[in-house]
Amino acid sequence: MKRLFTIIGIIAILFYISTAFINVDKQENSNNEKETTEVVSEKSSTQDTQSESAARKGISRFFDYSGFRNATPGHLLMLLVGLFFIFLAIKYDYEPLLLIPIGVGILIGNIPFMLNAGLKLGIYEEGSVMSYLYFGVTQGIYPPLIFLGIGAMTDFSSLISNPRLMLLGAAAQVGIFLTFLGALILGFRAPEAGAIGIIGGADGPTAIFLSSKLANGINILPDGTTVKNLIGPIAIAAYSYMALVPVIQPPIMKLLTTKKERIIRMKPPRTVSKLEKMLFPIIGLLLTAFISPSSLPLLGMLFFGNILKESGVTKRLADTARTSLIDIVTIILGLTIGASTQADVFLTEQSMLIFILGAISFMIATAGGIIFAKVMNLFLANDNKINPLVGAAGVSAVPDSARVVQNEGLKADPSNHLLMHAMAPNVAGVIGSAVAAGILLSFLL
Amino acid sequence: MIINTISFDFSAITGFEIIVAVVGYVIVFSALVIMYYVYNNIPKLINIKIRQRLEKEGKYKISENEELHIPGDVNAAISMALYLYFNELHDKESNIITIKKVSKQYSPWSSKIYGLNE
Repeated sequence: MKRLFTIIGIIAILFYISTAFINVDKQENSNNEKETTEVVSEKSSTQDTQSESAARKGISRFFDYSGFRNATPGHLLMLLVGLFFIFLAIKYDYEPLLLIPIGVGILIGNIPFMLNAGLKLGIYEEGSVMSYLYFGVTQGIYPPLIFLGIGAMTDFSSLISNPRLMLLGAAAQVGIFLTFLGALILGFRAPEAGAIGIIGGADGPTAIFLSSKLANGINILPDGTTVKNLIGPIAIAAYSYMALVPVIQPPIMKLLTTKKERIIRMKPPRTVSKLEKMLFPIIGLLLTAFISPSSLPLLGMLFFGNILKESGVTKRLADTARTSLIDIVTIILGLTIGASTQADVFLTEQSMLIFILGAISFMIATAGGIIFAKVMNLFLANDNKINPLVGAAGVSAVPDSARVVQNEGLKADPSNHLLMHAMAPNVAGVIGSAVAAGILLSFLL
Repeated sequence: MIINTISFDFSAITGFEIIVAVVGYVIVFSALVIMYYVYNNIPKLINIKIRQRLEKEGKYKISENEELHIPGDVNAAISMALYLYFNELHDKESNIITIKKVSKQYSPWSSKIYGLNE
């Protein structure tokens, strides 16, 4: 906390310096004007005074372009948010691979500079480097590449060995559709509401993919109005809640389960044959793509990555997909998503509403998974029951929510390891949220 | 401040939006239910041949309900036992000790002749 206060103090000092500069500069400007009128009227200025005024103009221009002159409270607030993200990642290890690039992106995107000066710096300025990198977000290029990497690194064995846990991944998707209705009630248009609802899937790439298609600021609605650009707030909300899984989920898990339920031991997963592992992505691809072709960019890449891994003959490609490729895309995606939170675009009431809706969506999804596990237990034999904590992993924040389930399970019974079981609804949640995204896309585009 | 500006408009939800939500969720659920049924039956299909072969050879009589897989904890125990066994093995040695002349190939990098001063 000491460090946080220090950072806040530094930001406050910077803010006062910037306002002081603005005042001083204003005085200088008025003085300059007076001086120039005198110079024009008298017509007797020497060369020294001319060079002096030129130097003063140069300095004044320099300050006009500097961050101190262009800083607004919004910029400073967003810089604080960026620093807070970096702090969370380093101090508490909350998704550092995401929060560090996003946090630095927020800093980069909120460095104040003179707008409309043709500097081509901002992410929303045509021709800037950041805008080119952001192109992959707005066109939905990065999310499928991330899915390729996820497919190449995910072991679906736990899901294949216990397919009934797949239903928990389906149940948790209730958050998406309830939040969709909630967003409509709060005044968002149907495509925007669909993009906001997907935050409940707790899947960053899916949220970016859907918002880039539905709430991209380009699509024209039937009444002639243009849909709002909500990619930045939705992506930040999705990734923030993914990082905050260890904070958001445990209270809901404790609230909805009894001590007796939390200590339920599940049967160890069986060994899955190589053939089954190879068949899984092929059958999964065909099934899901036929049901929801709109989700093909995501699920196609997910299962393609998994085929690379499980086929056993494309080790090099699988290695690249799960290491270098996904790392490169994560760096660029995180940075550009962070930079897209430019204060003048991001700090709106709508963004705040999206954050509130996202949190609700996430909580409903968690509760949906847990409650469905309890319902399933009503029909299962005593020796084959499901630990309801595993239901919380139905949200597709892989592998964070599975890790949270493991930790909560260990708190209830130090010898009960639920990680492998929780991974099954976790990866099913990824598939479920991608299918949901495809359905929303086909309904609302 | 933001809470004051939030307004709830329930009329925004029309029949279409409800259909999107309900049908959408039903499709997601049914997609995963179909996958559940498929993956639940794949091991049975794969095992049919193995069962038939084993029964034909008369090596092993398998009841319908018996599963052919080995549980993960049994696998782990076998792996551990094998690991410990192979870890304790020693290389077989000939017990013959001899002095062998090691012939080194000439290399200018290690040649003494270039290092000597006249």
